[in-house]
Amino acid sequence: MIRVRGLRKHYKVHERPPGVAAAFRSLFHREYKTVAAVDGIDFRIEPGERVGFLGPNGAGKTTTLKLLAGLLHPTSGEVSVDGHEPRRREDAYLKKIMLVLGQKQQLLWDLPPSETFELNRAVYDVPRAQFVETMRELSELLELGDLVKRPTRTLSLGERMKCELAAALVHRPQVLFLDEPTIGLDVSMQATVRGFVQRYNERYGATLILTSHYMEDVQRLCPRVIVIDKGKLVYDGALEELVTRIRPDKRIILRFSRPVDESEVASFGTIVRDGEPTGAPCWSIALDVHMDAVNRVVTEALSRLPVRDLTVESPPLEEVMSELFARGKAS
Amino acid sequence: MRYARLLLMQVRASMLLALQYRADFLLDGFVEIFWMVPAIVPLAVVFRVRPHLGEWSFGEALMVVGWFTFLQGVLEGVINPSLVTVVDHIRKGTLDFVLLKPADAQFLVSTARFQPWQCVNVFTAVGIFVWGFVVLGRGPTPADIGVATVAMLAAVVALYSLWILTVSAAFYVVRIDNLSQLFNAIFDAARWPVSVFPRVVRLLFTFVIPLALMTTYPARALLGTLPWATLAGALGGGIIAFTVARIVWKASIARYTSAGG
Amino acid sequence: MSLRSTVTAFPTLLRVGFMDAVAYRAELLVWMLATTMPLVMLALFTTVAADGPIGRYGQPQFIAYFLATFIVRQLTGSWAFYEMNFEVRSGTLAMRLLRPVHPLWAYAAENLAALPMRLLVSLPVAAVALVWVGRQATTHDPVMWGLFAVSVLGAWLITLFVNFAVGCLSFFVESSMKLMDTWLVFFFVLSGYLIPVDLFPHGVRAVVDWLPFRYQIGLPVELMTGAHGTAHALGLLGRQWMWVAIGLGTTSVLWRSGLRRFAAYGG
Repeated sequence: MIRVRGLRKHYKVHERPPGVAAAFRSLFHREYKTVAAVDGIDFRIEPGERVGFLGPNGAGKTTTLKLLAGLLHPTSGEVSVDGHEPRRREDAYLKKIMLVLGQKQQLLWDLPPSETFELNRAVYDVPRAQFVETMRELSELLELGDLVKRPTRTLSLGERMKCELAAALVHRPQVLFLDEPTIGLDVSMQATVRGFVQRYNERYGATLILTSHYMEDVQRLCPRVIVIDKGKLVYDGALEELVTRIRPDKRIILRFSRPVDESEVASFGTIVRDGEPTGAPCWSIALDVHMDAVNRVVTEALSRLPVRDLTVESPPLEEVMSELFARGKAS
Repeated sequence: MRYARLLLMQVRASMLLALQYRADFLLDGFVEIFWMVPAIVPLAVVFRVRPHLGEWSFGEALMVVGWFTFLQGVLEGVINPSLVTVVDHIRKGTLDFVLLKPADAQFLVSTARFQPWQCVNVFTAVGIFVWGFVVLGRGPTPADIGVATVAMLAAVVALYSLWILTVSAAFYVVRIDNLSQLFNAIFDAARWPVSVFPRVVRLLFTFVIPLALMTTYPARALLGTLPWATLAGALGGGIIAFTVARIVWKASIARYTSAGG
Repeated sequence: MSLRSTVTAFPTLLRVGFMDAVAYRAELLVWMLATTMPLVMLALFTTVAADGPIGRYGQPQFIAYFLATFIVRQLTGSWAFYEMNFEVRSGTLAMRLLRPVHPLWAYAAENLAALPMRLLVSLPVAAVALVWVGRQATTHDPVMWGLFAVSVLGAWLITLFVNFAVGCLSFFVESSMKLMDTWLVFFFVLSGYLIPVDLFPHGVRAVVDWLPFRYQIGLPVELMTGAHGTAHALGLLGRQWMWVAIGLGTTSVLWRSGLRRFAAYGG
């Protein structure tokens, strides 16, 4: 239902070298540079899917999202969402989607969230009965209670975010774009938001596109990821596969019953270090081992070393991503 | 129909907001009283030494000031507060939310906020009209009032369009601290009958920045001296102004890059 | 926030402020257009005075007066209020408070830094004025020019303090913008910006002489056009600087109590 082909978005940015003289000259003559925020992207997303957009800062994720929402016009390429062309911003289209921007809010600041809900109801033309039903469900799912009756400015950041989500979903959009929805929230609030988003998707079958810097978000919510770097699509597929492709390692963490010198484990795999090797024996050592070699390494470690505890994990997603982007930089 | 309901919702939100801050509510009312003074002083000063300003007598010139006061009320009560929210949205980056809604952005933004106390200006304007007619020693005919009402509609549309153009500048200008000052500066010239200005300026104020449409023509309508042709011209001018403003607005929205995403 | 760090930082603040002012060409245009009112008034009054002088102002006097008004406005204008209002309401004032330079100094620096651009605009006008109206329009007394310079400084300070004081009101009320608009409306009419102050009727004149508006524009313009003798000028200057002092006092009080409120409610 979302089809994107050859999508490009270029900006002309005015460049100015530093210094007062240059600043003055820029009054009369300006140099412009073209920046390709999005540079030829293709993908298809089916209804009900949950997809995560990953990429370093400035990669073009938010721009792509805004292009899908119709807020920006593409420089070239085709975009179609549920048969609509977003750039035309037809009323029918806008009633089907919603964009949630982390850190920015649409709630009226001095009035209670309930007023914003009412306003949205009028704007989106939601029948009264459906509205009451939707708000009841959302209130339950998000645990809003009496929050909606207090002026927005008196709510904490987490409470505001919950109400913001409720306001965004008054019209039960079928397509939900989330741009860094959990940014700045504390850990428990992040979990609440994630859980809610997942339940909304399951309950209403809404299609979800999410951008986030928190790997937790992507891991929990998105079975499929699209990685964008420098405006280009670098990867599109299951998250698991991406991890395997970039870092086909597993991380083995060994905890010993007596300190062990690093040299004893050096042959097993790459030792993961925080800083410089101290040379002294350690109580625990983490190793990155190729997934095919895990069985062998585990068997050997258990037989040869005084292992008290052993864990096998996937390497942290953050590291995988860093490596992916670093490779992008190199190429 | 939906838009009518939407308008009602926006007005309601504004009222709730106005009543939320009681101190402000009272302050606004209190401050309103003082606005009458600057309205009259310039005219009084000039007419103290001159019985006529061009072809306008004091009583006649009062009509222009009356309309000026009325339009100021419309400007400060209905137009300015809402359009200031555009500026705010652009600064905070929340204009995206307005654009995402399935309703016309210009409508949403124009009806976002009202200032209820400004209706005092309407009464002040009427007071000034009465004063003017007392000075002239006569009253307006019902026909005059009818024509004046039509001229007033054209005036309000022209004022609104001018403001939309000013606010559209907010899209091109990164820091728009003083757009309302700019507008007030230009609008202020409307307190004078347009024929008092030298020819070039008069043409400017009739065809480019239609201040003549806003105060001079309704004043002449009230005095019964507005030719039909000019009235038709005023209406046409209002329509043209509105269309131009709409085109510029849409172009500005199109250009709007929510950069920094 | 120490005076020393403010002083050391000031040149940089000025430089950055200048670059800021120059970076945004459209703003410059908006701002230039916003200050053209005296020129419109010039058009109006020269037409009115075509049949004969009003008071002591014939056509040449009006031309001189309004060109001078334009120049003085360029030199003394300030819109620190709008920036301040936005920062208080959005909470970003907190950022400024973290710096070792007092926010009001920072605003003042930004204002001053825009001055070169403004001079650039007013210089051609001054040249035109000189050529067109001839040298009789302005005073030739060097003492008067000195007093003029002082009055320009005073005028700028009053305008700045008004901006600050009303800006401080943003800590307390929502409608601070409305208050600023009200001040401006009075300013346009009573300061001599739209109409020379000595054309006012006697009663109004007496009141206006004690209000601050006249000292924001009227006084420097009058000194520049040689409207007063030295003794009278000094008296008026005294009143102007009295208003500067009032402005300073009011701003300090409002700033301090406003800041307490700001801190209490958080950003």
